[in-house]
Amino acid sequence: MIPQAALARLREAVGAEGLLEHAPLELEGARPELTLAPADGPALGRALGALSELGLAALVRGAGTQLALGNPPRRADLVLSTARLRGIEVLDAEEGVARVRAGTPLSELREAAAACGWEPPLDPLRPEATLGGVLAAGTPGPRGLGFGRPRDAVLGLDTALASGERTRCGGRVVKNVTGYDLAKLYVGSLGTLAVIEAAWLRLRPRPEETRLLVASLASKGVAAGTEAARLPSARIVAVANALLAPRLDPAAPAGHPLALIELAGDASVVAADARELASRLGAASGAPDTLERLREGLSDLPGEAALRARLDVRPSRLAACAAALVGAPLLLQPGLASVHVWLPLGEDPQAAGGPGAADAVARAFDRLAEAARAGGGRFVVEAAPLRAKLGRDVFGEAPEGLALMQALKQRFDPQGVLNPGRFVGGI
Amino acid sequence: MSAAPGAKASSAALIASLRAIVGAGGVLARPEELLVYECDGLTHHRGQPSAVVLPRETAEVAAVVRACNAAGVPFVPRGAGTGLSGGAVALEGAVVIECQRMNRVLEIDPEDRVAVVQPGVVNADLSKAAAPHGLLFAPDPSSQQACTVGGNVAENSGGPHTLKYGTTTNHVLALELVLPSGEVVRLGSRGGAPAGYDLVGAVVGSEGTLGIVTEATVRLVPIPEAVETLLGIFPDVVSACRAVGGIIRAGLVPAALEIVDRRTIAAVEASVYAAGLPLDAGAVLLVELDGPRVAVTGQVERVRALASEAGATRVEVARDAAERQRFWRARKGAFGAMGRLAPDLYVHDAVVPRTKLPEVLARVCEIGDRHGLRLSNVFHAGDGNLHPNISFDRRDPDEMRRVLAAGEEILRTCVEAGGVISGEHGIGTEKQDFMGLLFGEADLDAMRRLRDAFDPGHVCNPGKIFPTTRFCVESDPKARGYERVELA
Repeated sequence: MIPQAALARLREAVGAEGLLEHAPLELEGARPELTLAPADGPALGRALGALSELGLAALVRGAGTQLALGNPPRRADLVLSTARLRGIEVLDAEEGVARVRAGTPLSELREAAAACGWEPPLDPLRPEATLGGVLAAGTPGPRGLGFGRPRDAVLGLDTALASGERTRCGGRVVKNVTGYDLAKLYVGSLGTLAVIEAAWLRLRPRPEETRLLVASLASKGVAAGTEAARLPSARIVAVANALLAPRLDPAAPAGHPLALIELAGDASVVAADARELASRLGAASGAPDTLERLREGLSDLPGEAALRARLDVRPSRLAACAAALVGAPLLLQPGLASVHVWLPLGEDPQAAGGPGAADAVARAFDRLAEAARAGGGRFVVEAAPLRAKLGRDVFGEAPEGLALMQALKQRFDPQGVLNPGRFVGGI
Repeated sequence: MSAAPGAKASSAALIASLRAIVGAGGVLARPEELLVYECDGLTHHRGQPSAVVLPRETAEVAAVVRACNAAGVPFVPRGAGTGLSGGAVALEGAVVIECQRMNRVLEIDPEDRVAVVQPGVVNADLSKAAAPHGLLFAPDPSSQQACTVGGNVAENSGGPHTLKYGTTTNHVLALELVLPSGEVVRLGSRGGAPAGYDLVGAVVGSEGTLGIVTEATVRLVPIPEAVETLLGIFPDVVSACRAVGGIIRAGLVPAALEIVDRRTIAAVEASVYAAGLPLDAGAVLLVELDGPRVAVTGQVERVRALASEAGATRVEVARDAAERQRFWRARKGAFGAMGRLAPDLYVHDAVVPRTKLPEVLARVCEIGDRHGLRLSNVFHAGDGNLHPNISFDRRDPDEMRRVLAAGEEILRTCVEAGGVISGEHGIGTEKQDFMGLLFGEADLDAMRRLRDAFDPGHVCNPGKIFPTTRFCVESDPKARGYERVELA
């Protein structure tokens, strides 16, 4: 419970409409009963200043589509929502840049940009995902092969630090080395260093032609996928193994891996690449809902009895990584050098906490570690029941450079106001 | 800043310990040896290092850093010294750690499409090494025949092809870094996904202030199937800029979109770089298209039409490699051509929104004329990245003063237009006191938090990037070294 005096101080910071008291939310083991939703940048700064002053910790939230990502918070007295920091401030059709507030759903930006011939090179898994959330999580969607990582879309950021100070870095131009590139730090930091208030984004010209293809693959799934990812117009290449394939396309022949490929760009290149895929893999046009199913799969909450993880590996070791996970549903993205896997955590969720369930969790984490080693990379458990997260790091073993990361957290958020405990190594 | 009293004896001890690490041949300390290390490509900012050390491997770099720390002497990493913002200049009697002997390409992996290189590998040599695999290293700064990958990482170097391929930061996947403490750490991953905070992203472009890169894993991209280069002759810069806008609005992403102004054409044509450009042209636009042949062929015709529509009096398409090189001479020879007009060349690097280019260029020329300077423009038009070149003689104090005054006006003009003060050259010592044009104290303080997490003692390339506030650069050419005077 937050004391009345503290509530009054917070209300003063964000105004009455910006303070919502509600029944306790179940968020990764925390039970916040209060949401702060500042309406603009100054209110966000005031809110953070007040939290620092009051010694409270916040769980930062956009649309909440990626709340499953991260370790359970060490503490979350309330939710700090960016939902009201909404709107496209600038959409410059001549320059191909946009300035967008953090709480804006990306679907809104996508629509507005499309109307003037551009598209944001960001590919969230859910339509309601906000810009701030996508940048804070920092992980590319399936179109990352064509778009690059979210870090590459950012030209400049306005952020509010834990102290409440509002700062900016970068700018609105497409080429800039003026000062440190702090945006790289904030993007992918899961809201643990600062709260993103707004961003200048680079847009891309809308492709002249886009085509979605599916191909049922026989034995050489990964190799075929890797080759497809090297075609010049390939924007998505996702290969589901035989166990996962029916989920992407219920009509696909059973027992075979399935490749889903999106081509985009110059019409002549797309046509040439589509011909190549037709002759090489027998690829044919895919139904649009195949892509929706892919996104749903990559963002699903596997419930109490399973976890969903991503492994980022060396591109050439994708097959070795997949081999270490044989028997589990797998989705490989050769262009992003990643493997997504679903692993069981014991048959009976009611037995959670029992010795059998604990063993199943340990086995799942061991398999992930082994597969990451085979792939020369790392794993991150993107969604799992709380019981599987407790006492473990969902980001796997501590990376080199963890001491530097801890030093950064210490300097940006010494009191642990922002998502304490959520990030790598319990940062 | 001059050395502290009693520094000589301790300096001798430090040099002895550096020799013990890298061998006698790896340490330069005689004044005549140090002379060439007094500046980088920005010739009017100077500082004398107390020594230059040339390590051969990571362990030696780490030992050198620890020896400097033990002696209380700061250090500065240096590649080929081609930087243009004073980033490699030794301030506060720093030791220069020159990475040119660490020049091996350790691995080219065509499957992962990466190269692992030591920092002293020359940029162009990396692409040469990758070529047999059908791959290249995309960042290609004008100095690519000399500049090193370590320097590219430090400065987040660009080049004419960044419009399509991005700058160095888009191509660095992992780094080995000797931290300012002397500890060695490996950051990033070969697949490109960061493990934790994106420290690789923070280090690239940090101008050698967060540590010394001793190994870089970089992305290689396929050599394009087809390349076509077009040269458009325009009556003025405004119509050339209009063509650039038209090309971008048409959804085309050329590999390069470069403009050379009338003043530069005159200088180029009067030099050994002469490319046969018409002297009465107001501007020349160079467009390079690359990619799959089926796409490029159609794009050439679209660009030709868009250029004509914007007012081009002539559009030529290079018929062969020799002609392509001739076209590029007009662009790449600009620095050399301007350089022959006077002993020194000052290349500015501000960026403005592309649509502001015509008005900003007019202002830039007016500023140069008003200060009586030989100023010309070549620029990465697609990125809005200006390169006003000023030919001058730093031994002429009055001209030096006018060069600096004009430079400040140019930066202010660009910032007022919504731009920034550096697109690819870095801040270094050159522009540190103009950081305030863009950033407030809280913004700079956030940057200091990053600096302090890596280098709490400010021993790694001190005195760069952040404003000196109370100080200004003393440009008295008679002064030996890079001096600063406190303002009253």
